[in-house]
Amino acid sequence: MNEIIQIQHLQKHFGNLKVLNDVNFDIHKGEVVTIIGSSGSGKSTMLRCVNLLERMDGGTILYHGKDILASGNDVNQYRSKVGMVFQSFNLFNNLSVIENCMIGQIKVLKRSKEEARAKAEKYLKEVGMYEFADKASTKLSGGQKQRVAIARALCMDPEVLLFDEPTSALDPEMVGGVLDVMKDLANEGLTMVIVTHEMQFAKEVSDRVIFMDQGVIAEQGTPEEIFNNPKQERTKQFLSRYSNR
Amino acid sequence: MSINFPKALEIFQENISLFLYGIGNTLLFALIGTLVGFLIGLLVGGIRAIEINDYDSGLVKVLKHIGRWITSFYIWVFRGTPMMVQAMFVFYLLKPVLQWTPFVAGLVIISINTGAYMAEIIRAGIQSVDKGQNEAAMSLGMTTIQTLVFIVFPQAIKNTFPSIGNQLIVNIKDSSMLNVIGVTELYFQTTSVAGSNYKYIETFLVSALIYLFLTTLASFLLNYLESRFDEERKTKAMDFCS
Ligand SMILES: Nc1ncnc2c1ncn2[C@@H]1O[C@H](COP(=O)(O)OP(=O)(O)OP(=O)(O)O)[C@@H](O)[C@H]1O
Ligand SMILES: [Mg+2]
Repeated sequence: MNEIIQIQHLQKHFGNLKVLNDVNFDIHKGEVVTIIGSSGSGKSTMLRCVNLLERMDGGTILYHGKDILASGNDVNQYRSKVGMVFQSFNLFNNLSVIENCMIGQIKVLKRSKEEARAKAEKYLKEVGMYEFADKASTKLSGGQKQRVAIARALCMDPEVLLFDEPTSALDPEMVGGVLDVMKDLANEGLTMVIVTHEMQFAKEVSDRVIFMDQGVIAEQGTPEEIFNNPKQERTKQFLSRYSNR
Repeated sequence: MSINFPKALEIFQENISLFLYGIGNTLLFALIGTLVGFLIGLLVGGIRAIEINDYDSGLVKVLKHIGRWITSFYIWVFRGTPMMVQAMFVFYLLKPVLQWTPFVAGLVIISINTGAYMAEIIRAGIQSVDKGQNEAAMSLGMTTIQTLVFIVFPQAIKNTFPSIGNQLIVNIKDSSMLNVIGVTELYFQTTSVAGSNYKYIETFLVSALIYLFLTTLASFLLNYLESRFDEERKTKAMDFCS
């Protein structure tokens, strides 16, 4: 039993539009899962449901075997353990780089200012942004912002880190730096769930690849299975669009 | 129709202490009204901007709804009636209970009145802050209140700075309405002076020039403060930890 999170029969609709239809999967400790699929297939919505940014219409999410929405469970404590890196970075505009990395530690984890600063410095070093610690977060390039956003999430000592297309909003020359940081994290054994359109990257880092189509998990397996021997017709079609580019 | 300018100057010089007293009170009412109104606006605007989340418990949802009703009612009443009427009504309504002076009542009324306008200004400011800021704070596990206080308010206030300054200028002028309950601000003093010399045109010319001077000074000061505020943010982000 090394599942951190188990997602069971997840349902989500926006009005009449059914976006997720009975999605089931587990996230195991130390695992790197990538989620691929065409636009509108429900990848972001699923991640957002896992982090409770979006309300589920049906199903359960178990965190260490416990239903996170059962009464008496602290939703905020759960969120602090499930980090999220957004496509649009979402650094706090009113705070400096290091303050971005400290505020959650101080306000949510109740760490002392010194402890929070030390941890923030450690992770800013890890993502190569330490020399920008006292800069205003609005003054950074997209790639720099995303690396700070990753450090901010790491500072919470998350058990799982969710990434929603972390490089899609970046200029091409910035993508590599962010992916390198993520590869390092994968090698260090961090549990990650990554929605991405970077197929080469998915091949390299994933333990498991999930292909989503029209609100369901159409196929999942090792990168080898999905990229080299996809079983389903729709997986093949989706991948062929990428190899032709 | 003619204006006797030398006479106006003479009236100003002869009654300078009365005018100064009025100016002092007018500024006091405008400043306190704007400041306290701003604090009320933060509270009320904050309550109005709190979103009712799907994951809130039943009790929290009910409380949030009640908060919305009360704040809507407050804003509806105080923006929908003239401050003069509010002043008369509230002053005499509470006089038997509080035994208050026009001065204290005036301060309370201008603050509550300004609060109603500020609440809407601040709510708009809060809603102009990118939703991603909220989501990032939520993803760290911050509570709704923490997110408002540490992330959203600082950005919203910056966005609303010009409107807040505008409210100060409005209050410099609108504090004149408090004369109806006998607050001795500039307009009240002007009427007393004019009532004794019968030179209405010249006396009110003096008054108009004083108001113009005060509002112009205020807008210069505000522009200055705003640029200082911007600079400070550039060099040193706010220290939320201390
Ligand atoms: N807040 C919302 N309100 C209404 N419809 C929404 C909302 N969010 C997403 N949708 C719809 O849900 C469907 C799935 O969206 P989602 O963002 O999960 O797709 P995705 O797989 O992440 O796509 P992409 O690769 O473009 O990011 C889409 O049809 C989208 O239009
Ligand atoms: Mg998406």
